[in-house]
Amino acid sequence: MSNLIRKIMVYIDGTEHSVTAAQYAICLASSTGAELVALYVINTKAVEDLLKARIFLQDEQVEYEHDMEADARRYLNYVNELALKKGVSVIKKSSKGSVNREIVNAVKEDEIDLLVIGELSRIRSRRDEFYDETERAMRTVPCSVLIVKDEEKVWDIYESLV
Amino acid sequence: MTLIELVEENIIKIPLESNDKPDVLRELVQILKDAGEIEDFDATLKAVQQREDKQSTALEDGIVVPHGKTDAVTDLRLAIGIAPQGIDFDSMDGKPSTLFFLLVAPPDMSGPHVAALAEIAKLAQSKALCKALTRADNAREVVELLTGD
Repeated sequence: MSNLIRKIMVYIDGTEHSVTAAQYAICLASSTGAELVALYVINTKAVEDLLKARIFLQDEQVEYEHDMEADARRYLNYVNELALKKGVSVIKKSSKGSVNREIVNAVKEDEIDLLVIGELSRIRSRRDEFYDETERAMRTVPCSVLIVKDEEKVWDIYESLV
Repeated sequence: MTLIELVEENIIKIPLESNDKPDVLRELVQILKDAGEIEDFDATLKAVQQREDKQSTALEDGIVVPHGKTDAVTDLRLAIGIAPQGIDFDSMDGKPSTLFFLLVAPPDMSGPHVAALAEIAKLAQSKALCKALTRADNAREVVELLTGD
């Protein structure tokens, strides 16, 4: 198993689902001995799109990018704390750009064996206007992908980890 | 979380009853209050008004995207209002506004907030969909149009 999964990446986006994914990834890294990387993407592509669409003002663009940088630090530090409690070390990583593209690039660059992501939208729209960047990354990355579900069960697994 | 997960009948109002910008903002925030999505009406309204005071969030073709950050919510909150009669909202093209997407988020959820706004921006580009939404008779129809059922 340790040879099968040497490097795990968990994608964090500030949602509860992604924190649950992080807890699961920590358990997985603990049991396999795999290296764990936590990635947060600062979605500057979406902010630029909002400026072009004139939904954002120039000062909002700057403000939201700063907010997202602060969120990245906060959530990655939180995941780091969760991991340290269980004796697992985490490589914190953040990048800027399009979520889908940045995840795929990070998986390739870091030679990730397994990408761990939170639960995807339970409601599906057949409209192209609604798309999930994480789902797009899931379909595009060259490695295997694990979608973490059941927040309560994962919490129990995480808590029981010595 | 995608925008579609926030779309439910109880956060949609057709038609909006207000006739001017301040009242529309209040009515949209009231939708969230009535749906049990927020507790602090005043704080939510203040966040949205502060952004609106800088520059109108009314785009072209009748679409308006009021938004703001506030500690009054713990997660993303969406309200949709439709005013087939059209309301003056200082839009870019000077035309009356008909389709309102109110989005509020807590300050520490900037990533999901930006992603949801980007989805609204993409949706606003579909003129056929926006026209169909404006012509919807009820909330159920709006949900069906957005989910593509």
